[in-house]
Amino acid sequence: MSREHISASSLRGYLWISPAAAMLILVLALPMIYSLKASFTASSLLSPGSEQDFVGWSNYWQTLTDPEYRMAVVTTVAYAILAVSIELVLGTFVALMLNETFFLTPVLRSAWIVPMVVTPAIVGLFWILLYDETHGIFNYALVKLGFSPVPWLDVNHAFTSIVIMDVWQSTPFFALVMLAGLQSRNEEILEAARVDGASPLQCFYYLTISHLMPYMLIASSFRIIAAMGDFDKIYMLTAGGPGLVTTTLSIQTYKVGFNTFDIGRTAAMAWLFLLIVLIISGPLICYLGKTSDAER
Amino acid sequence: MSSTQKALLKKLVVTAAFFGIGVFYLIPYIWLVLTGFRMTVDTLAIPPRFIFAPTFSGFKYIFGPVRFQWYLLNSFVIASIATFVVILVAAPAAYALVNLGIRAKTFLYSIIVARMIPAVSIVVPIYLMAIKLGLLDTYQILIAIYATVNLPFAIWMMRAFFRDVPPSLREAAIIDGCSEFRVFRSVFMPISAGGALATAVFVFIACWNELLFALVLTNSKAATAPLAMVNFRTDWGIQWNAIGAGAVVLSTPVIVFAVAMQRYLIRGMTMGSVK
Repeated sequence: MSREHISASSLRGYLWISPAAAMLILVLALPMIYSLKASFTASSLLSPGSEQDFVGWSNYWQTLTDPEYRMAVVTTVAYAILAVSIELVLGTFVALMLNETFFLTPVLRSAWIVPMVVTPAIVGLFWILLYDETHGIFNYALVKLGFSPVPWLDVNHAFTSIVIMDVWQSTPFFALVMLAGLQSRNEEILEAARVDGASPLQCFYYLTISHLMPYMLIASSFRIIAAMGDFDKIYMLTAGGPGLVTTTLSIQTYKVGFNTFDIGRTAAMAWLFLLIVLIISGPLICYLGKTSDAER
Repeated sequence: MSSTQKALLKKLVVTAAFFGIGVFYLIPYIWLVLTGFRMTVDTLAIPPRFIFAPTFSGFKYIFGPVRFQWYLLNSFVIASIATFVVILVAAPAAYALVNLGIRAKTFLYSIIVARMIPAVSIVVPIYLMAIKLGLLDTYQILIAIYATVNLPFAIWMMRAFFRDVPPSLREAAIIDGCSEFRVFRSVFMPISAGGALATAVFVFIACWNELLFALVLTNSKAATAPLAMVNFRTDWGIQWNAIGAGAVVLSTPVIVFAVAMQRYLIRGMTMGSVK
């Protein structure tokens, strides 16, 4: 192909992506640039004219030195890492189970999709009932089993409760990713290992777990990033309380934004949040970018 | 017992055990569905009542005084138009990335990054812009937001499906005198129809389930169904039968769609890195 031809076709290519680019710029990039500018001002909806009042890094400084903000960072990271670790282990077991041969396989596999797609806001709202101290079925089961009832949504347990709720909703995602991994495994290698005298435990560790490793990394990366941004179900279940024990960065940014209308401060928080998420998702972004190039 | 009988018995036992585990896992969802068909007194009873006189009072309440159908209509219209816009814009973009030889590394990386942005970090500036443009509580603003935040995902997914189309088909069509648009419309879209449908379904589900933007940007005229459910939690208690009924109405279509498209579900959720 001649050089002119290439440049003509790439010009046409840009025409084809221009509506998408326009939407991303208008609805995502512009508001973000606006918020970047606002984060250096004392802008507040409660005082007109304040959006021109530049204050330098003060909003960032205030946020970073605020103990409540640091607590929210810890809560967010702890929530994401704890939930994802449990989901990874449970999901792998469920995948091993779904990979066995049994009757009505498609029915059971479909059933595991249900928690994943139920509206998160409804999950949060409904788990209030499940966690209810006197009327909830969790405490009913605990008491039946001889344990004492747990005040699920009090200061000491609310954090565990949001983790459990996410484990319920997101374990199927890990299970289905791992199942895809298991089904891409070469059964002949497994057979060969058995013939050569590998113990079941060795087979499991060297062939199953190591084969699943990339799948585990991908699923965990996606879920950690999404979990850090979780808002709907935590907001509905606890709204960040009691006190601040379930106040993640999403909940805190929302609250500062819409309770105090301190736009400058909220914008700084939003940008810091974005920065944290981008740093954590850095490896995944590079991976997706690189593999997309290699494929074709 | 012969060995085939033994194998059959084992398979039966395994099936029963796995279904037991599955049902146990789904208890929170099953309980939610039952709550929709139960008086609130029965829902709150201890020991829990799995058997009760079914009632449609929750459904009558939400479709009567609450006018839940109206919020459902809002949700449906907003999610459908947003999905339509997404496919209309994402498909040509994905086609260009695959076929038109543009070295759009910047564009590729920006859509991956855009996919990672937490919703809450853009909600405040979008709220301010909506005020400035007078778009608070309108269909337009939610459609614009939902279409844009789902666009990166849709481009990425459509791109994966277009890549499965053999490039020789395009070359042949071009040699036969087809325009690029014609190749896109008459070769790539029909071949990738299943993929486009799957993409559309996932975008629709994401819009249908969304709460944060609806909570911030709407209050009555354009309020969506998940937002309406927030109000079932009142100062004088929570109307569990209404929540159960609303949840059944809201989640059933989504579950049916997702199960129908399960072949593509994981591929979509991992941006194509797991097939």
